[in-house]
Amino acid sequence: MIKFADVALMTHATFGMLCIIASVWVFVDTLNVSQGNLVRIKLMSRAVTGCMWLAFLIGGYWYVTYYYADKALILKGPWPFAHHLVMETKEHLVIMLLLLTTFLPIAASGDLVANKSARNVVLWVVGLIILTGILMEGSGAIIGMGVKLAVLPK
Amino acid sequence: MKHNLEKYTISFGLSLAITSLFSALLVVLKELCDHSVLVWMSKATGHHWMTHGIIDVVVFFVLGWFLGTLNGGRGVDISAEKLIKTLVGSVVVSGLIIVGFYMVDMLAG
Repeated sequence: MIKFADVALMTHATFGMLCIIASVWVFVDTLNVSQGNLVRIKLMSRAVTGCMWLAFLIGGYWYVTYYYADKALILKGPWPFAHHLVMETKEHLVIMLLLLTTFLPIAASGDLVANKSARNVVLWVVGLIILTGILMEGSGAIIGMGVKLAVLPK
Repeated sequence: MKHNLEKYTISFGLSLAITSLFSALLVVLKELCDHSVLVWMSKATGHHWMTHGIIDVVVFFVLGWFLGTLNGGRGVDISAEKLIKTLVGSVVVSGLIIVGFYMVDMLAG
């Protein structure tokens, strides 16, 4: 039977991935901005924010409620750095990512067709979101591997 | 006016840069500082990380709104290039502070 904690964790990772996909969409659309896709850029920017907030809140709930058990396993296993370095870094970098995604719809609210400066701000912000998002997904994989290696028979 | 960006793009962009650095320094402060900050943050909401997140989000919104009220409500006047440099530089430096701190912490045992 699938536990609620596992569903929460998978949902967290899924919204994180959706956030990255939506960010790539915003990046490509902004590079090719026109009156035809301006509304879509603004809508997708909000989708980035929505997905990130959902990923953050679900992941945060899982972290404060269930992570202690995984942490204990990781620390006894062969990859203690999965907690000491990777999780500790991830839990704080993700707050920065949350703020970047919250800022994105504000940056995308201007006239991106006529205003090159506004376009550049959006491209840089969404670029940071994509890179940090991929870093977060990779960190999650390392943490998961830390647990897996800890429970594998030696 | 040096820029042609929306008022809130600049004010919240600068707020993001400042909050990002503040958050990284708060990491160092709560982990060092004889753990008194960590204990206070844990007691405030039940988990230090929740308190950290709430503080950052509040600082981001309050500072963004405040910077937008400067110059008689016209907000801060900086170029888009400067805003991008400040924002990207701050996020990168903040990330390095956090990674560097936990790296040193781990290696020190």
